[in-house]
Amino acid sequence: MNTLVAALLAAEDPTVTHHWLLPETPEIIYGGLAAVLVISALVKFAGPTVKKGFVGRTERIQKELDDAAAAKVKAEDDAKGIRAALGDIASERSRLLAEADVQANAVLTEGRARIAQEVADLEAKADADLAAARGRSTDELRSQIAMLAASATPIVVAQTLTEQTKTELVESFIQNVGAAR
Amino acid sequence: MSNQKTEAYARALFEIAQAEGSLERVEDELFRVARAFESNDQLRSTLTDSTLPADRRQQVVEQLLGGKASATTVQLVSMLVTSGQVKEMPVIIDALVKRASSEKSQEVAEVRSAIPLTDDQQKRLAAALTKATGKALNLKVVVDPSVLGGLVAVVGDEVIDDTVRTRLDQLKTRI
Repeated sequence: MNTLVAALLAAEDPTVTHHWLLPETPEIIYGGLAAVLVISALVKFAGPTVKKGFVGRTERIQKELDDAAAAKVKAEDDAKGIRAALGDIASERSRLLAEADVQANAVLTEGRARIAQEVADLEAKADADLAAARGRSTDELRSQIAMLAASATPIVVAQTLTEQTKTELVESFIQNVGAAR
Repeated sequence: MSNQKTEAYARALFEIAQAEGSLERVEDELFRVARAFESNDQLRSTLTDSTLPADRRQQVVEQLLGGKASATTVQLVSMLVTSGQVKEMPVIIDALVKRASSEKSQEVAEVRSAIPLTDDQQKRLAAALTKATGKALNLKVVVDPSVLGGLVAVVGDEVIDDTVRTRLDQLKTRI
């Protein structure tokens, strides 16, 4: 701050001949030489390090590029594998669907056959039941007729048999027994 | 009833009838009484009713047989009733008939008929059965309306059955 203030005061000083902004000429020369020396020293001593740093950086970048390329290749391979896997999945899906269709058709066919068999069995059983029921009804009817006939016959016969007929039966018995031996 | 008791009563009846000199008639009448006793539920229940006094049951016997059977027959049946042996009367009388037949070297032929047989029919029937069985027979005819018609003869273990009832039973079985 003090230097700046001094510079400003000096600029307003009419005794000062050089430019308020530029230094004195010798100062420029010395300064220029010093700058050349510093730059030369920097080039000589810091240059290899900087160059080495650039080379290392270049190698690192190249390595990163190579890694990126390798990663890209790997990614492409993975993508190819995934695409292939997707293709396999699709084919597996198709195979599974086809197999499921086959199994479904088999189950359907078997189910239809079983149902048809069951229906046939039920029809046969129904026919047999009907026949049995018909037979039972016929047997019951026959039995009832037989019972009625058996009950009615002695009554009818007893009413039909006259004394004459009874006498003839007795005579028939005597003749048959007598002629038997 | 034991066989010995049955035989004892049968022998007693037999000897009484024989002593009275009417064995054949008494035997025949007793046989008919026995069959009537077997087939007539009312008669059987009356004569076996222990709540009725014995003399009342004896009166029933006398009312039923009086005038239709000989006095000996009535007395013998009354004796069975009063002695409490009426339930066994058919067995006793059958034993009596068998004993009487044995005395005559005959075998009992029990014939059931729907109608009464005439003497002529009974003679011819006895002759026919004798010819058929080869045995001398003591014919006993029972009128049994349940046979409907025809005759059935039982001689010992042999049965000659030609009744309408049996034919109807066979027909019933076939139906």
